[in-house]
Amino acid sequence: MVDNTAEGLEPSRRDGEPAGPEAPRHREGRASHLAFVAHEVRNPLSTALWSAELLARMPAAERGGPRGEKLAGMCLRALSRLRLLVEDHFLLERLDIGGITVREEAVPLPELLEAAAAHLPAGAVLRQELEPGLLLQADRVLAERLLEAVLASAAREGGEVRVAARRQRGGIELRVRGATPEADRLADPVRGSASESRGRALSLPTARRVAAVLGGVLAAEPAEYRVLLPAHDGPASEGT
Amino acid sequence: MIQAQARKRHPLVLVVDDDPEILEAICDILDAEGYRVAQARNGLEALDRVRAERPEVILLDLMMPVMDGQAFARALRARGNGAIPIVVISADGNAHRATALGARGFLSKPFDIDSLLFQVATAAAHP
Repeated sequence: MVDNTAEGLEPSRRDGEPAGPEAPRHREGRASHLAFVAHEVRNPLSTALWSAELLARMPAAERGGPRGEKLAGMCLRALSRLRLLVEDHFLLERLDIGGITVREEAVPLPELLEAAAAHLPAGAVLRQELEPGLLLQADRVLAERLLEAVLASAAREGGEVRVAARRQRGGIELRVRGATPEADRLADPVRGSASESRGRALSLPTARRVAAVLGGVLAAEPAEYRVLLPAHDGPASEGT
Repeated sequence: MIQAQARKRHPLVLVVDDDPEILEAICDILDAEGYRVAQARNGLEALDRVRAERPEVILLDLMMPVMDGQAFARALRARGNGAIPIVVISADGNAHRATALGARGFLSKPFDIDSLLFQVATAAAHP
């Protein structure tokens, strides 16, 4: 006899979810993580909706005035924050279920740093001390995302961010020094984790996962971030 | 009607939220409606503001660093200020927590502006 009552149905399993006795704990962790994500999304969503609603209620002639400008700025900041959260959330999900294709290639580290640094907040300055000829073996898009998250964290208080990189045990080691590393934000956030008002609550967990997918490591040490990524053993790296 | 009465008296509303954009937006909305506003980033700051400014309504987030909404509500009652009406503004969608701390109202983010104004006006009109 088929039991089709709600009690008799097994909760549906997702790709990447463990079976057996680990499943309930895994599911509980996922639910707690999603509760955190929902919480993080609701704040900027509120601000975006309110500012848009207030703009819509304003007489057209006043929208170009100071209050209209303030509301438009508020709306834009909230939406930018939402975009960061949503992008990180979906990348994290895709990484978790193995739903992303990693295209490894030789990537010059200075190019990646330049691209990642383009997103630094105004007032932050990047200083680089790189061994010459450093080539990563990595997916360019994912590696840029990883470095962008780490640089953004190090630059969150403005000022100078220092990146030193060298060959180390077959890989390339980067040390990123700026604001105190957010060690507590490297772990997957769960219900009750600290909120993040720039929309970067998922950036470091995503970066940590990206580092692992690329065969490397992202860690927070007391005064700096340490990133270790595979080196490309091509001719451009010879002699370094 | 309730909103018009509340605006006429210019009640002071204390907004407590750790998100600076939420604070700015809600204060802007209330200010435009004629309310006086004060703000705090956590429960501990909010206790200082209550002592200094005697708000008539408190809009309270629950999840905050330093001192969260539940701890703030307990401390408020312990200090003899339990009569100030609290409207919980929460992003976790759990109304039970608001009920548990004796809040007068509950708004789940993202709520609409008219709901916010109605809850504040109702709380200010019936302290």
